[in-house]
Amino acid sequence: MTTFALDTATPDPALALVAGDEVLAEAWLGRAPGSGRRVLQAAHHLLAMAALRPADLSEVVVGVGPGGFTGIRIGIATALGLGQALRIPVHGASTLEALAQGMVGATRPGEALLVPIIDARRRQVFAAAYAAGADGSLTEVISPSAWDPTDLSAALAAAGPCVLAGDGADLVPVPAQGHRATAAADRIMASNLIARVRRGGALPVAPQYLRLPDAEENRLRREGHGAPA
Amino acid sequence: MGDVVLAIETSCDETAAAVVKGRAILSNVVASQADLHSVYGGVVPEVAARHHLTTVNAVIDRALDEAGVTLETIDRIAVTRRPGLIGALLVGVATAKAVAYALGKDLVMVDHLHGHVAACWLEPVALDPPFVALTASGGHTRLDLVGDYAAPVVLGQTLDDAAGEAIDKGARLLGIPYPGGPGLEALAREGDRTAFDFPVGLRSRGPGGLDFSYAGVKTALLYATRDLGDDGVRAHRADLAASYQEAIVRPLVDRLMRAAEIAGVPAVSIGGGVAANGRLRDLIRVAAEGRGLRVAIPDRSLCTDNAAMIAAAAHFTNAIPWPDFVGEDAIATAPPGGIAA
Ligand SMILES: [Zn+2]
Repeated sequence: MTTFALDTATPDPALALVAGDEVLAEAWLGRAPGSGRRVLQAAHHLLAMAALRPADLSEVVVGVGPGGFTGIRIGIATALGLGQALRIPVHGASTLEALAQGMVGATRPGEALLVPIIDARRRQVFAAAYAAGADGSLTEVISPSAWDPTDLSAALAAAGPCVLAGDGADLVPVPAQGHRATAAADRIMASNLIARVRRGGALPVAPQYLRLPDAEENRLRREGHGAPA
Repeated sequence: MGDVVLAIETSCDETAAAVVKGRAILSNVVASQADLHSVYGGVVPEVAARHHLTTVNAVIDRALDEAGVTLETIDRIAVTRRPGLIGALLVGVATAKAVAYALGKDLVMVDHLHGHVAACWLEPVALDPPFVALTASGGHTRLDLVGDYAAPVVLGQTLDDAAGEAIDKGARLLGIPYPGGPGLEALAREGDRTAFDFPVGLRSRGPGGLDFSYAGVKTALLYATRDLGDDGVRAHRADLAASYQEAIVRPLVDRLMRAAEIAGVPAVSIGGGVAANGRLRDLIRVAAEGRGLRVAIPDRSLCTDNAAMIAAAAHFTNAIPWPDFVGEDAIATAPPGGIAA
């Protein structure tokens, strides 16, 4: 059972190759605009280093966001293309949950909420909050959505102690009972996407945009539906 | 090298896949998003990209099914690399790369405009060079001299709006819903095409003088509707449509004929969404007959954006061997010199 995992929702796309319980390789494409476009090249290098061919893969897990729209689509298109051609299953996993899974060690279970935050551009962030169980499980406390950073900070202040991480964490004022996780936790580990799926957190392979296209928002506003939530 | 090609096209608002064997089309599947975009009055790039992603794998499956083949029996994968909406192109390119990589097949990255020209290579049209090709759509207006399908030479192109873009904008001014082409043509049939004297979109750049310009005619229509007022426009809608359409299609015909004359070729072809326009087809047929030229007009399904034409162009484009294509990318713009074969 060899699983390939990829997440291109953020400007630092992540890949992993996992055989059974063993992580064979964990890799990142490097923080650069549009780096997700190189994800297949990185996948090829990863497979080559592991002396594997595409046909050796038995499953693909892909981060479905939230994050950059184009990046998410490249990741999902790549995963579905591999799945279609190899006739292997493709599972989705939440990019925010994968981030949170990597933060589990940042606090003692039950002590503080885990708050993964992704830069959503336009002075917004995508964020959610999870309570970590002693067994490493995650319980969603605030569901994924797009936030104004100060609104998120206020919501977290009301929720109690929390740990912030992710490439959008520095955009959010740290609430009084909150603290910033170490920079190491800002990086998505693609193997954590697989961990989420193993723990029953598989999602449909469909982008979590969490935001309508601008043209759609404008249209709804013009037609008097008000600003959509 | 075998010659069964699976092609994928997602450059604008059609999600398309086709299987082509040699010059024979085994399947040509197009999932149009036109209805999706009509509420916005034009193609919205983000909406297009979102829809391509939800549709492309099923469209590929259908193309394989209809062709009666499996992915394993495909010899090469082809995909539109440029030009187009970048977010839309990237869905097709990422999909095609992943499929080709997984199967261990070579990938051909095709120029969309090369596809429009190469559509004539396919049966039953099966046009052999030399000829001059006119491609006119919402995104492009171009004349190519095709001495060899592998290397079309650009003779002229639009300096501003594309012909189809001008049609859509004019249709909107006349209150015809997007996409305006069919509505404008239907309305024009009821009108007098000599009623209004709109400037014909010719522009000479260099000695060849084979370029197009549609900014002027669009502005002229805008002024005409302002001068007429709402009531006047209502009374003369059909005449406006007929005169406007004439000012769009006339230069296409004139330039095509002039290009054929200069190049000394025995045939001309038309492609692109505007090639579906009946007035354009009629004028070209009459003009070509008078000059003893053969006219190749592929079926409508091969004129509007489709993947069979991408497979055709792939036949004349170097394949990138497995796995060298893994780092290849989509490109929004056309190359400066014309077609990147
Ligand atoms: Zn086109």
